[in-house]
Amino acid sequence: MTIVIFGGNGDLAHRKLLPALYNLHVDGLLPPRIAIAGVGRKDTPDAAYREFAKDGITKFSRRPIDEQAWQTFAAMLFFVKASLDGEQVLAPLGARLDIIEHERGLPGDRIYYFALPPALFVPTVKQLDRARFVNRTGDPVARLIVEKPIGRDLDSARAVNDAIAGVFDERQIYRIDHYLGKETVQNILVMRFANSIFEPLFNQKYVDHVQITVAEEEGVGTRAGYYEQAGALRDMVQNHMLQLVALVAMEPPHALDADVIRDEKLEVLESLRPIEGAAIDANVVRAQYAAGFDLGKPVPGYREEQGVDPCSRTETFVALQIFIDNWRWAGVPFFLRTGKRLPKRASEISVHLKEVPPILFNANPAARLDPNVLSVRIQPDEGFSLGISSKLPGPHVRVYPVKMDFHYGSTFGGSSPEAYERLLLDVIAGDPTLFMRRDAVEAAWRWVMPILERWAETTTDSLPAYPAGDWGPVEAGQLVESTGRRWRAL
Amino acid sequence: MASAVADRAWRQSTPERIEPDLAALWRDLARPDQPIARAVMSNLVVFCSPTDADHADAGAITVPLGLNDVAALHPSRLIVLEHEPGRRTPDAPFAAGVGIITFGPPHARYGVELIVVKSACAEASLPSIVRRFVRGDLPTTVWWTEDLSTTSPLDALVTMGRQLLYDSRRWDDLRRGVSALAPLVAGRRVDLADLNWRRLSPLRQALEHAAGPAGSTSRHEVTVRIVHRRGEAALAWLLAASLLATRDHAADDAVLSVVIRHGTGETTATLTSHSVVVAQGSAPPFVVGVPIASEGDAVAAELRTLSHDSRLDDAIDALARWFAVA
Repeated sequence: MTIVIFGGNGDLAHRKLLPALYNLHVDGLLPPRIAIAGVGRKDTPDAAYREFAKDGITKFSRRPIDEQAWQTFAAMLFFVKASLDGEQVLAPLGARLDIIEHERGLPGDRIYYFALPPALFVPTVKQLDRARFVNRTGDPVARLIVEKPIGRDLDSARAVNDAIAGVFDERQIYRIDHYLGKETVQNILVMRFANSIFEPLFNQKYVDHVQITVAEEEGVGTRAGYYEQAGALRDMVQNHMLQLVALVAMEPPHALDADVIRDEKLEVLESLRPIEGAAIDANVVRAQYAAGFDLGKPVPGYREEQGVDPCSRTETFVALQIFIDNWRWAGVPFFLRTGKRLPKRASEISVHLKEVPPILFNANPAARLDPNVLSVRIQPDEGFSLGISSKLPGPHVRVYPVKMDFHYGSTFGGSSPEAYERLLLDVIAGDPTLFMRRDAVEAAWRWVMPILERWAETTTDSLPAYPAGDWGPVEAGQLVESTGRRWRAL
Repeated sequence: MASAVADRAWRQSTPERIEPDLAALWRDLARPDQPIARAVMSNLVVFCSPTDADHADAGAITVPLGLNDVAALHPSRLIVLEHEPGRRTPDAPFAAGVGIITFGPPHARYGVELIVVKSACAEASLPSIVRRFVRGDLPTTVWWTEDLSTTSPLDALVTMGRQLLYDSRRWDDLRRGVSALAPLVAGRRVDLADLNWRRLSPLRQALEHAAGPAGSTSRHEVTVRIVHRRGEAALAWLLAASLLATRDHAADDAVLSVVIRHGTGETTATLTSHSVVVAQGSAPPFVVGVPIASEGDAVAAELRTLSHDSRLDDAIDALARWFAVA
């Protein structure tokens, strides 16, 4: 097996891919015969590329570098210079890969990883086709990994998917959403379908509402060029958050086969109630962060960030109320929020169960009991907790909210594998369960398009702002409070 | 009584590394043969003056404040904010440390998280630090360990919690202390929890018992004489205000003594460190016990209280109005 990373000397390879491959190597999970080839425009000797990889592993690996393990890992690393401009530009790459594979006795099975800007997806896949790198029969193996975003709207997503489908068969394509590789996200299915206590509650009879929060403490940083064109809805909601909604809301699959699970997730995406016209203003809040504080330090507002248009209308925060119009979830609101420069990095799904009747311990209207909340912490501090009411010890009957809490870290010890480790391993094994299928990507785009179109039309109204370091604009609070509920504090 | 501390894992950290370092400590403490549970029922944000050290020092904080006892009795995420009041210069916190205080026998260990942040930030930026570290799904109490008659509680910080815990026994200037709290009482924005007021509870209960059914003394003009030990002025004024607010009424080791004359009768109640003795005319005196409680016990008891103490609010409000007139 040869893993060919286009964008091999880029940020993603440096911070995520090479450390993930190193950890798989240390854990003995990589195939015994493997080569990893970084591909990029810059002329980089193999030795220099290995130093680049070592630097990334030293800085970003979940475990410290081990010199012996590094030496064996480094021997697998190569770099090939390649340009995408012109005809047959990948021929030299093919020749070099042939040599590497021949020298190492590899059969020519390859995984092509596009760690590239989205604009280069289509040109690169066309070059792969011209160079005859891809065999649809699967012998030798040819698999493609593409990073999000797949397009910036439905039409461009279809165009990217069409171009890729012209070269690769759908079963050869692995559209990566690293959220789906996180341990806790994978554990959502285990929690729901391997425990008899939870699944019977996951429906409109018992669930009052669901909240999903993906909060980032960082600002736009060095990604202004990308982010100005994307915004929070494209960057987070269309992919990560709708995938989380699908996992929480899906029906039980009849098998753990990739397509069975992905079919069930697609059902959820296709059951999302469209938000169109005036309903967008009532159910969607967008905002930008203004100057504020991050952990005590003053930080600039979004429009003052380097590379951002001072008149930018790109949203750095979005909150939505959505509904899934199926039998299971009829009438249950799902509240989603995501944003940059929020107080902390935290991703969580919380399932809020209905209140107990207002009698006995819940009789005082001025002091209602906290409803039970099942929360799934995706990051950091992965785990689950269930909030329950308990009697305080003592002679009086006083009720106090307590939590039954499960933490991966202190339960299992050691650090969980990074999402990219699991996902790369799945691609090597040929398991697409945790990857997005074309129909799901396009269903998600189809659902967000009316919102994007309405925002594109309304350019005159002012965009709400929130101070950096706060939990979003007041309008986001009102979105939830207008239904008699509140955002869960994280 | 609080459980004895079994151990404390501690490491220096940086403000940015606090959560990962805490996670690493938990991983280090987790052993297959000796499991450890995380115990956390609330957030306790402790605001205090900085210690002399230029690094975060767990011992210098936990011992004087009795945080080990509090953690044992009411396990909370302890977030200690060492801050020099009056700072206006925007700056990041300059030191931090994280720890896990463990309790219990080896087969049933539980741990409580401790975060210490030494800050020289502008006060306006402090909420951004607190928001980062509190567990938002749990009740939050802000414990103002400073004398809030000299260091007014920061509104933005205090109102992040559901409860403001303080000790009026520390007040140098009673009027300023009351005026610092008056806006919070007026707006009912947080629940007040005064450790000194807790000390007054047995005396208040005893007086209520002595007064008999509500209103039995209100028909008479009453005279109240309160005598207090040196350093207990706040307690005395709280009692006076409590009596005023309710419109009812109200020795050597006596902390506080109150004499209430109503008509021809007289009630004397004396609070000592262990009891309240109430004498009424020729009837034999009765005694109300005073719970033996350390500061840690008292703090933990307040943390467990999720309801509003309207009697304390009324007393503070009465004092504020009283001082405004005086």
